[in-house]
Amino acid sequence: MTTTKPTMIEFRDVHKYYGDYHALRGITASIRAGEFFSLLGPSGCGKTTLLRTIAGFEGISSGAVLLDGKDMSNVPANKRPTNMVFQSYAIFPHLSVEENVGFGLRRDSRSAADKAKAVAEALEMVGLKGYGKRAAHALSGGQRQRVALARALILKPKVLLLDEPLSALDKKMREQMQVELIRLQRQVGITFVLVTHDQEEALVMSDRIAVMFEGEIAQLADPETLYRRPHSRKVADFIGTMNFLPAKILSEAANVVEVEAPGFGRFALDAGQCMGAATGQGASVGFRPETLTILFEGQQPTDRESMATVEEVVYYGDMTYYDVRLDGTEAPVRISMRNVFGRPVLDIKTRTRVAWSPGALVLFR
Amino acid sequence: MKSPGLRAYAIGYLIFLYAPILLLPVFAFNDSKVIAFPLSGFTTGWFVEMWSDAQLFNALKNSMIISMSTSVLATTFGIFAARATTRFSFPAKGGLIGLIMLPLVLPEMIVAMSLLVVLLAVGVPLSIFTVILGHVLICTPFAVAILSSAFQSLDKSLEEAAYDLGETPLSTFRLIILPLVMPGIISSLLICFTISLDEFIISYFLAGADTVLSAYIYGQFRFPARVPAMLALGTILVLVSITLLTIAEYFRRRGIAKTGGKDTGGFL
Ligand SMILES: Nc1ncnc2c1ncn2[C@@H]1O[C@H](COP(=O)(O)OP(=O)(O)OP(=O)(O)O)[C@@H](O)[C@H]1O
Ligand SMILES: [Mg+2]
Repeated sequence: MTTTKPTMIEFRDVHKYYGDYHALRGITASIRAGEFFSLLGPSGCGKTTLLRTIAGFEGISSGAVLLDGKDMSNVPANKRPTNMVFQSYAIFPHLSVEENVGFGLRRDSRSAADKAKAVAEALEMVGLKGYGKRAAHALSGGQRQRVALARALILKPKVLLLDEPLSALDKKMREQMQVELIRLQRQVGITFVLVTHDQEEALVMSDRIAVMFEGEIAQLADPETLYRRPHSRKVADFIGTMNFLPAKILSEAANVVEVEAPGFGRFALDAGQCMGAATGQGASVGFRPETLTILFEGQQPTDRESMATVEEVVYYGDMTYYDVRLDGTEAPVRISMRNVFGRPVLDIKTRTRVAWSPGALVLFR
Repeated sequence: MKSPGLRAYAIGYLIFLYAPILLLPVFAFNDSKVIAFPLSGFTTGWFVEMWSDAQLFNALKNSMIISMSTSVLATTFGIFAARATTRFSFPAKGGLIGLIMLPLVLPEMIVAMSLLVVLLAVGVPLSIFTVILGHVLICTPFAVAILSSAFQSLDKSLEEAAYDLGETPLSTFRLIILPLVMPGIISSLLICFTISLDEFIISYFLAGADTVLSAYIYGQFRFPARVPAMLALGTILVLVSITLLTIAEYFRRRGIAKTGGKDTGGFL
């Protein structure tokens, strides 16, 4: 993987207070050069605040923010090697598209012709070739988004900061821009830091994601680890759907934990599947809906098998969601099954076998 | 406008509002010293008489100096105040704004009297400069009100974007903020100009030996023979106001069209 890449942004125990309100509570993390990094979390968790400490719009109360190894505490926003794409795009409404894109070159010593060429290149890069003379305010949402991108990228910053850049677009446009942003990031190789509250968007686009709750980073990992091995129930709940069942820890050795859970019986998990420090109370096992499989007649489980009753069926065309109650449990769990042509969709109250594997479980202590 | 009663009321109201203004040019061109129907014939003589009135020109000059200085000064103060109150928070902000806006509801008579007392006590000679002082005091609240709404509708991220792209706070103000609040500035200049030109009490109290237009016109109405010439002057003032407002409205609409904003009515 990309572990050898140097660090581009480093947060060292960053705290931020707004009056009495503790908005950032000791952020320590590093973002690597050339990485597509996302800050993900619910509204009000401090994502925007953290992003703005990189840009220099927000001073910090204590700690340090380092950019490319240099402490930024005395560097104002207009002198930092970062550029930002704002949520509202912040297109200058009284200027044309090319004046907007070329705005950052005003202080550049290049000749007018060179600047015009740079503007044209930037416009071409974001797919707005030939739009230079248009009035910026007359563009559609997606086009403004591209102007904002071109305007930020033309200065070749070390870091591009994006604050919920896609949230104002409709679903289709958003998906298209996601793909384009990924392509653009690969093409320019600049470090992208994206703020989003959309977990799907973060999973699709990022090399690594920091999940934030209430001013703290709850987990920082690549999308797959975040999805398969969330560090807490809170993270698991925020990213996708996860089922939880109460569990009892029978024994703990250095590398294996023996667990018993209703519906699953006894099984062993390795240390990597066990999250949190042992508290001796209130443990639970979690699993994603697609890790359980309903067994139809004649199918054999690859690993373990339990009995269950179907309680609810939601048909989605390509998928069917079953809420089933495993024998011996109180609450139903959700299973998602890809529909196969010719195979019936089960009815409510059907008794069925369910296949599962201890390797797909996570234990929260 | 469903009920006929309401319709009649609305029409009556508009007649009451505008008929006197329409009568201005009618009698300004009427060949009689008596302001009454029936009209006696067409003349441009009153305009000639007005034109050759040296005292009138002196009053007009004074008024122009006062109104222009007032509108520029009040608008400048308004820009500072509006910028400060929409962007920054500081202790006692609410109280401070209240104090700036107070002259809006204070009877002008009181403003004029208290200024007069203070100026006389300090020993400042009364002149058009003391009038400017008083006018700035009463015009600044209007400027602050107009400009605050202009500054308020400005997206803060526009400034941050310019700053982010390497501009200094000062150049950001010049390149981004100023052009975008320009319609507000023009409105403010115009309204302050009009208020100052119209103003009577402060002008009368603080002008000393200098005459201003409003006081001069009022004085002339004591001599019936001078009234038609004043109506001629009034006619010209109406035309000038309409022209000014049209120009201002043109700039406001162009500003909106250029920035793609929604037209929220303005003051016309
Ligand atoms: N200028 C400010 N003054 C006081 N409190 C602030 C200020 N800016 C942000 N906050 C508070 O800090 C917290 C974090 O705000 P922030 O904007 O970083 O949240 P966010 O994670 O970006 O949320 P969202 O998804 O809603 O944009 C919020 O509770 C917010 O109310
Ligand atoms: Mg935010």
